[in-house]
Amino acid sequence: MLLAPALAIYTLFAIWPLIDVFILSFQDWNGINENREWVGLRNYYHILYNDPVFWVAFRNTVIWTIMSVIFPPVLGLFLALGLNQNLIGRAPLRAIYYLPVIIAPIAVATMWRWMYDPFFGLFTQLLTNAGLAQLIPDWLGDKDVALYSIFVAYVWQSVGFSMVLFLAGLQSVDRSLIDAARIDGANRRKIFEHVTLPALRPTITIVLVLSTISSLKAFDIVYGMTGGGPAQSTQMLALWAFTQSMEIFNYGRGSAVSVVLLTITLAIVVPYMSWSQRREEDAQ
Amino acid sequence: MTTTSPIVVAPRKRRDPVLIGLWISLVLVAIIWLAPVAFITFTAMKSESEVFSSAAFALPSKIEWNNFALAWAKGDFNNTFWNSTVITLVKVPLGLVISAMAAYALAQIRFGWNKMLLVFLLFGAMIPFQVMLAPLFTLVNSLSLIDTYPGIILPYLAFGVPYQVFILHGFFKAIPKELTEAALIDGASHFVIFRRIFLPVCLPVLAALLILDFVATWNEFAMALVLLQDKSMWTLPLGLMSFQSQFSNNYSQLNAAIVITVLPATLVYLIFQRYFVSGLTSGAVKG
Repeated sequence: MLLAPALAIYTLFAIWPLIDVFILSFQDWNGINENREWVGLRNYYHILYNDPVFWVAFRNTVIWTIMSVIFPPVLGLFLALGLNQNLIGRAPLRAIYYLPVIIAPIAVATMWRWMYDPFFGLFTQLLTNAGLAQLIPDWLGDKDVALYSIFVAYVWQSVGFSMVLFLAGLQSVDRSLIDAARIDGANRRKIFEHVTLPALRPTITIVLVLSTISSLKAFDIVYGMTGGGPAQSTQMLALWAFTQSMEIFNYGRGSAVSVVLLTITLAIVVPYMSWSQRREEDAQ
Repeated sequence: MTTTSPIVVAPRKRRDPVLIGLWISLVLVAIIWLAPVAFITFTAMKSESEVFSSAAFALPSKIEWNNFALAWAKGDFNNTFWNSTVITLVKVPLGLVISAMAAYALAQIRFGWNKMLLVFLLFGAMIPFQVMLAPLFTLVNSLSLIDTYPGIILPYLAFGVPYQVFILHGFFKAIPKELTEAALIDGASHFVIFRRIFLPVCLPVLAALLILDFVATWNEFAMALVLLQDKSMWTLPLGLMSFQSQFSNNYSQLNAAIVITVLPATLVYLIFQRYFVSGLTSGAVKG
């Protein structure tokens, strides 16, 4: 049947691992042994009470998520508003802003790691030339700075994505309303507040939810830039789950971390999906 | 500037100071956005000694093509490039075909629980697969498919299906069911209807999805990291990662390796630009 191949592959390779991660989180397993031992809630107890890295990762994931819900969408909205005007060269400008989105995150990590190089990197050179050499931090080596250094690279990569979604949303703004408002003497700010912004509301929700989801997944860029270091200061939940399972071979604890992250994600995704379903039905 | 502007610009004024200020700031930000790319490309073309002696954005005095050849050989790019190409060329068309078939079935054939199945499929688009790397490894391992092409392509297919079904379903739903039903009465099979009616209609969307999926598959790192353990099976992103850790102090070759990795996706993007935007937005933001 037409549906069968997609459904079979999807169920086996996407849904089964999802179920298995729950099962594993209640087990003790090193990945090799024949039998997996049931240990009840012990993995959860361990990560919540005896694993300091878990809480660092948790804190970083929260900080990262909050920052990525604010910075890329706001910047993306400004760019979209600007590029929605009839400007010379707006097509190439859009292309430039979107370019980083298609670069592999691992390549972005490699690029920025080199730009953050403490001796010959771009930022060090620029600050030295500006006579600010004493202000140069160890971008990726200082544990108070590293997370934010990575985040700058992430903003560079992800702004284009928000921008494109906002540009699409702006197409649905009713032009006759804007014209009418202008005839009535409304200035740009008024038009934005009372016409554009309300019309963009669904787009804003979509951008915020997608930004949240993609920020919870932050993996490649952190793995590539610091691997969670220095001293676990840039550890994130997704990466910590991976490290526990695939590098320390403690599948139970890794899966427990995964389940925590999954629960957070579902708490955002489920309301969002029912919201968009209702919206779809209203539109029909 | 033409006066046909559909948007906020007032046609009566040809030059608006606010717009000029806006334009200047947009261009400045664009230059900043482009700077890392320029820096990487320039470094890739400089000799090792010039990297240390010249300014960051100085053009290379003489282009060192040799950097690329050396990086290619050291990074075993023959191998990783080949693997990435095989995996992408098999996964992307195959994924689109099975997604399109599923989307067609869900949109056009009534069998009661269409809606539940759709939600079940869409659910996967929202779930971060990064969370499931360990069970995924266990599963693929139990099928003895670690370090094989099917072992990576099947999971790629599984995680590509939800988004593509979502987008295509939206399109297929717009085609009236009566058309399908009439064709069925005339004796056409679902396969024929799908191929003769639906495929031609959604060709632009398919093109958009094809390109988006090409880039996504080409760039994928986390799953490959777990499922491709053997060096001979590595894809480009894995190769770049290992290049970085092995030769991190040879800056010009490292940058050459970055350029080699990024170039194919960039070219595809520059050639098929307009499809990217339509592909991304047709599903996510509908009026």
